[in-house]
Amino acid sequence: MNNVESTSFMMARDCWRPSRKAMWRRLCNNCATGASVAAGSVLLLVLVSILWTLLRRGLEGLSWATLTHTMGPPGSGGGLANAIIGSLIQTGLALLMAAPVGLMCGIYLSEYGRKGNYFASGVRFVADVLMSAPSILIGLFIYQLLVVPMGHFSGFAGALALAVLALPLIVRTTEDMLRLVPTAMREAGAALGAARWRVIIFLCLRSARKGVLTGILLALARMGGETAPLLFTSLGNQTMSTAMNRPMASLPIAIYQYAGASYEDWVQLAWTGALLVTFGVLLINITVRLSSRH
Amino acid sequence: MMSASMPFTEHLTGSSGDEPVQEVALAVRGVNFYYGSHHALHDISLDFPARCVTAMIGPSGCGKSTLLRIFNKMYDLYPGQRATGEVMFDGRNILDDSISLDMLRARIGMVFQKPTPFPMSIYENIAFGVRLHEKLSRTAMDERVQDVLTRVALWNEVRDRLHAPATGLSGGQQQRLCIARSIATRPEVLLLDEPTSALDPISTARIEELLDELKEEFTIVVVTHNMQQAARCADQVAFFYLGRLVEMDTADRIFTNPRQKQTQDYITGRFG
Repeated sequence: MNNVESTSFMMARDCWRPSRKAMWRRLCNNCATGASVAAGSVLLLVLVSILWTLLRRGLEGLSWATLTHTMGPPGSGGGLANAIIGSLIQTGLALLMAAPVGLMCGIYLSEYGRKGNYFASGVRFVADVLMSAPSILIGLFIYQLLVVPMGHFSGFAGALALAVLALPLIVRTTEDMLRLVPTAMREAGAALGAARWRVIIFLCLRSARKGVLTGILLALARMGGETAPLLFTSLGNQTMSTAMNRPMASLPIAIYQYAGASYEDWVQLAWTGALLVTFGVLLINITVRLSSRH
Repeated sequence: MMSASMPFTEHLTGSSGDEPVQEVALAVRGVNFYYGSHHALHDISLDFPARCVTAMIGPSGCGKSTLLRIFNKMYDLYPGQRATGEVMFDGRNILDDSISLDMLRARIGMVFQKPTPFPMSIYENIAFGVRLHEKLSRTAMDERVQDVLTRVALWNEVRDRLHAPATGLSGGQQQRLCIARSIATRPEVLLLDEPTSALDPISTARIEELLDELKEEFTIVVVTHNMQQAARCADQVAFFYLGRLVEMDTADRIFTNPRQKQTQDYITGRFG
């Protein structure tokens, strides 16, 4: 008995020792893990560096006056109030236009446009193309569509350009989120005798609401930081204006105009504006994270 | 094999000499079902006696779930699926296009394989279905909710959290909630599609007990993969194979002395 046990123990020791091949694999594994962590750190470093620079340069100029005074000539102690208001109005209006259309289109694609529906596949393809279209093209499109016939730039044209930008994002996230709702949920609703529209609104949309809301908020964040679609549409404005048929200021345009200026106070305002936009977008993203967690 | 369904009907009428005549809730006559061009059910004819549990057994793909989904016209959701023949319910052929789906589904409820709690509170889960068909006062609705939850033995577990999300319940509780939701619209027939296959043994036992109580009032049709379950809960058992009804009889006879060799082979585990 003794004999048998000791030999099997010896054999076990031998085969349990890692082979050269296993050592090599372990080494490769460690290297790959290290490289991945390094790549991740680079990304994190870029973000931290941007935020740090923004905070350092932007916070200096952040004061009550920046938030309440309108833009003005160099040295006049101007602020960004009209740009902030303009940005809020334009993104808000764009969201009001894009969200209902995007939601309905997403519902159509997911609930009525499953496989075999050529119109739906066409819409889906166009949405994908539009999603990756350069945003300056969207600005030019609205310029031709609205600004040229009207003869002047306007806040409404800016909002429309932003809406076109946000639309495909909302459409595709809505569709994807609704597709995650199990078929069993739709069947269970129908089995109770509920009409299709009731099943879609009260069951499907309701169980996908977090994802759908996330899509809308991300679209909002995307719109808040866009400059290119606004260049040819709302143009920017030095004075406070809330008239939708007149050129309208916005933060991204103000940053674009001021960052390259040779006046120190304008450059300072550009930094502060950039800080405001970044933190606005960051706030939306954090809201999305928190809301999708609970 | 084709004609196996007919002797059964004869058997029912034949044996009714010494027993009281059994009331029939659903009478299926010559039903065929197609998924597009795939012929899934072949000339099915059988009766579902009222206030009894009828189990449908058979290997995967034999058509038992397909037949179950004909009874509340679930196939209607999917273009390309169609049924021919007759399913008589309360004097009408429910396969007629003129049948109101809302009405049919209020009178024939269905519970699915996986629990499907709606994304709302426990209370609202039940009220949702009721509101589709009836206008109840607040107190009447409260009573209805309490009544059905008591009958599925869930009331004591959830009475303090009626307004909490239903998704917070355990799988077994969710399935009992789904049964409560189905009986809340006061149907006459309850269809269950493998209702316990996603549940643990204790939850399964509770659902089986529940079926025993519910059959006092409802006609129950249950599709199951679990032969022991069919033997435990069912009064009648129908065995399907390759889209055909092979045999239907009382549970006792199917499990002790089936007439068809295929049934014998299936229940003894020789195939399927």
